[in-house]
Amino acid sequence: MPTIEVTISDFESLLEEKIDQDRLELLLEQVKGEVKEFLPAQDIAKVELNDTNRPDLWSPEGIARQIRLKKSKAGTPYPFFDPKNKSDREVIVSKEVAKVRPYLAACIARGMVITEPILEQLIQVQEKLADSFGRKRKTVSIGLYRLQKISFPVRYDLVDPETTRFVPLGFNESMSLKEIIARHPKGMAHADTLFGATQYPILIDAKEEILSFPPIINSREVGEVKVGDTELFVEVTGTDMRMVMLALNIFACNLADRGAAIEPVSIRYSNLTDYGKDIRMPYDFSSSIDLNLDAFEKVLGEAVKMEEAVAELSAYGYTVQTKGKSLKVTAPPYRDDTMHPIDVIEDFAICRGYGSFKPEMPSTFTVGALSRVESLSDFLRDAMVGFGFQEIVSNILGSRQDFIENMKLTALDKTRPEAKIVEIGNPMNERFSLLRSSLLPSLLRVEGASSKAFYPHRVFEVGEIARLTSPGPGKRKAEEATTTSIHLAALIAHPNATFSELHAVLEALFLSFSGRCRLESIIHPSFIQGRSGNIFSEKEEVGLIGELDPEVLTRWQIGMPCVSFEIEIEKL
Amino acid sequence: MNDDVLTKLAESLHPLEKKVLVQFSDQDKLTEDAILERDASLQASQLSMALGWLLTKEIVKVVEEKVEALVSLTPTGAAYAKEKIPLLRMVEEIKSKGQVPIRELQKRTDMEPEEKSSAIGALKACGAVVIVSGGQLELTDRSKLSEFESLQRVIEQLSKMEDAVPLATLPPEDQAAIEAHHRKRGKAKGIFRVDERAHRTYAPTDDFGPIYQKMMAVGSVEEIGGLTPEMLKEGNWREKQFRKYNIQLLPPRITGGRKHPYKRFLDQVKSKFVSMGFSEMRGPLVESEFWDMDALYMPQFHPAREIHDVYFVKGDLQDQTISKETIDRVAATHQNGGKSGSRGWRYPFDVERTRRLILRSQGTSVSARTLGEGANIPGKYFSIARCFRYDQVDATHAPDFFQVEGIVLGPEIHFRTLLGLLTLFAKEVARAEEIKFLPAYFPFTEPSVEMHVRHPKLGWMELGGAGLFRPEVTEPLGVNVPVIAWGLGLDRMAMVALEISDIRDLFSSDLGLIREKQTVLEKRGEAINADD
Repeated sequence: MPTIEVTISDFESLLEEKIDQDRLELLLEQVKGEVKEFLPAQDIAKVELNDTNRPDLWSPEGIARQIRLKKSKAGTPYPFFDPKNKSDREVIVSKEVAKVRPYLAACIARGMVITEPILEQLIQVQEKLADSFGRKRKTVSIGLYRLQKISFPVRYDLVDPETTRFVPLGFNESMSLKEIIARHPKGMAHADTLFGATQYPILIDAKEEILSFPPIINSREVGEVKVGDTELFVEVTGTDMRMVMLALNIFACNLADRGAAIEPVSIRYSNLTDYGKDIRMPYDFSSSIDLNLDAFEKVLGEAVKMEEAVAELSAYGYTVQTKGKSLKVTAPPYRDDTMHPIDVIEDFAICRGYGSFKPEMPSTFTVGALSRVESLSDFLRDAMVGFGFQEIVSNILGSRQDFIENMKLTALDKTRPEAKIVEIGNPMNERFSLLRSSLLPSLLRVEGASSKAFYPHRVFEVGEIARLTSPGPGKRKAEEATTTSIHLAALIAHPNATFSELHAVLEALFLSFSGRCRLESIIHPSFIQGRSGNIFSEKEEVGLIGELDPEVLTRWQIGMPCVSFEIEIEKL
Repeated sequence: MNDDVLTKLAESLHPLEKKVLVQFSDQDKLTEDAILERDASLQASQLSMALGWLLTKEIVKVVEEKVEALVSLTPTGAAYAKEKIPLLRMVEEIKSKGQVPIRELQKRTDMEPEEKSSAIGALKACGAVVIVSGGQLELTDRSKLSEFESLQRVIEQLSKMEDAVPLATLPPEDQAAIEAHHRKRGKAKGIFRVDERAHRTYAPTDDFGPIYQKMMAVGSVEEIGGLTPEMLKEGNWREKQFRKYNIQLLPPRITGGRKHPYKRFLDQVKSKFVSMGFSEMRGPLVESEFWDMDALYMPQFHPAREIHDVYFVKGDLQDQTISKETIDRVAATHQNGGKSGSRGWRYPFDVERTRRLILRSQGTSVSARTLGEGANIPGKYFSIARCFRYDQVDATHAPDFFQVEGIVLGPEIHFRTLLGLLTLFAKEVARAEEIKFLPAYFPFTEPSVEMHVRHPKLGWMELGGAGLFRPEVTEPLGVNVPVIAWGLGLDRMAMVALEISDIRDLFSSDLGLIREKQTVLEKRGEAINADD
């Protein structure tokens, strides 16, 4: 979720009102925003925007636009979207560029003097759109240029990275595109946006002056916008045409809100796109959504009158046409997030204010219940507490050291269920790279960390474990690749802890639910040979019991004899 | 002390105390070791128990006490003995590569973020490296590392010792190194552990003489240590005298069985939902991308689905249990809206990727499964699901954590019943009367709402998020009534109830802490959930 920084005074002039923190919090409800910091002394506020589908709101201009709409009950006119405006400036998109970064949108802004705070805001919007919306420039990136240095038509083309050279921003020397990728900080940071292409995209003007190497870096000569500039050329490039055009629309509206006159640019594609071959941009691609008043009532739980629907939706920026009980609504060109009539209805509710809806208690009667395994777990937890055991809750993730090395599982028969450990392919930290396949390591971790707590230790845990169902990687039809199950494990540690002490608990536990269990000897590396066994209920294996192998105890840095059992609850 | 008191004291002596007192009949002072040597039948634990009693009775006293510091390795220290301290591991990397950028070092997965940053800090501070262009570190002066190399030597030396080593027997420079790196109280990290052991010398007090004489005299009458079934049967207890106990002595410490405080908190949440008519639902820890995200209409290009936001299961595992028809319906919804009335996300849906296995990242996946498997209509469901997020583990992020989530479905469900349900939660779960609803964004609900409540102890806080599942979620799963999806953030309430400030303590491994936590709550007689 993007967080933006706004200059309070600048924001106030965009909002056309003075604000304090409370007022700002209230206003931000309209845009799903939250005040993170409000520092009037420094004239700075930080605002988090929660709607990841509304990049138009990730700037003070956009937030203020939405709020002004509600106050004025009508949309700001953006005449530059009118297709009747013709353009004599042209950008030619080559056929080749489709292989790397196919789409481009552009426009011109005049008559707004760039000041220090405005420049900061422009850069912030540019970065937020490219980073969060454009996925770190991969799908969308934005470039700004000084218009007077450019001779039209501009070409957007692919070139050879070794022989094409220009002086990039931040450097004084001419570099080849390849050198930029290798040495320029922006080149190193964004090389992945080229997806391994062998030819790189550039923007180049009629006098063969290179404007930029999108989405990496602008030319120092043409592409460094400075305080005092009044005429800008704005371009957006990317891999998704709609997103590219939307980013330009947002940027153009932001500039217009600051008093710039936006002039269109004609984009000439080599192939036919979804929106034509010659497209005048900024381009309003919004399409209408049909819905009727019944849909409002069904979703909101109260009847909505047509006048009210029209008023609120207009005050949220929609263009609304009505016919009987039906509405045809069109979102403004800086939005592309309305996918379903439900989105329009939510905007209606937001505009009217959530506080204006009266909560109603759902009255349908339902019977509540725990799942069988949870009820059984609770029963067993009560029983273990009765036997004098302290309950433990542990994390499920652990390290190879914890779950394999310390348990001596490398020596375990690979077909044993506890050997089938689920591993994380992209761990952030080796300490949390495996899911536990049994609870025993969790209890040993507690024992290893608790030598100072007075003895005897009698602990248990009821919790989830996960295991691979097939031996090792592989795909099997119609079968779960892993299983999650709930286990109960108990451990006793004190100077004279023995098998029979815990065996007695196990017997008593089974008796508590009139169950029966029997043991069969097993050779298992985690336990002392001859003092460990499989636990069977009726006919099925349900778990393990045994005195812990001294080597296992040593690896866990435990200085006390330990005995433990573990059973799978659903099998009882 | 008068005769009467002396007699009573002598009569109450435990056989172990008598054994110890006998040793003082011909010695004016003795150490514990000396007593054990003189009477081989005494065990060390019995001796310390008896001496403890004799001290309270003031029959013996401590005349000399020497405290010895014993040093051993912590688990961290033991690990360092094998794989070297982080700083030296980094030095090796720099040495082998010539130059290494700092951010490369920060990417190492074999150490914790704190270990990395303190090692990098120390490395820069000691002057053994210089930073050259591009943030690269280069080794210049190996001699500056001597401090760390000798630390490593001490660690390795200690790792070879079976028992803790008396600190005083080590050379002064080693002692200084240990002093600088030993585990401080309350801190988890540290290389060395220093324990103190006291050696005491005991001597008889002035009362010893008369008591000893009484004791010898009493000893001639037969005393009963404990009553036996045989004595009761034969009645011969009548001729005998019971040895008197000193009932003022502290008994040995025991502890009862208890449920874990965090589990008790969750138990209360669980029973709360059952009492409100909710059924529990469950889902697996390892989930397919399908149920975790695709079925919830999160587009496959969503930023929260990237490699650095979700844990993927190693080995290219796939969930083959999801039917092709179900996947096709969800795929169509993503691509063009399918039959949901939506225009969709408009991108090519990857039907292979949707089966890929990940660690469950959100409890909402359990709701999606419940809807897909056929939920009751009307129905109310909840789950307390363990989830995994790709986050650095710190005081506010546990490696895995519980999410409380659920759904309510039925023909009467709409935005106002959603607000009604949340109002009920606020009252029942947080005991809050004041409540505020704010517009919110979740990829799978519309309208979406965030609920803020005024908690009796915490003040205004965000209690949870909710909304009506988008038709793009319900339609492909064959659900044709509106569905409320809700989730509550209860960890903050749990932490306040349990008086902890570090979320990792909810899953603490320290038995002492877990036992103590309970006593604090029990003593105050407070229910964990502030729900009395």
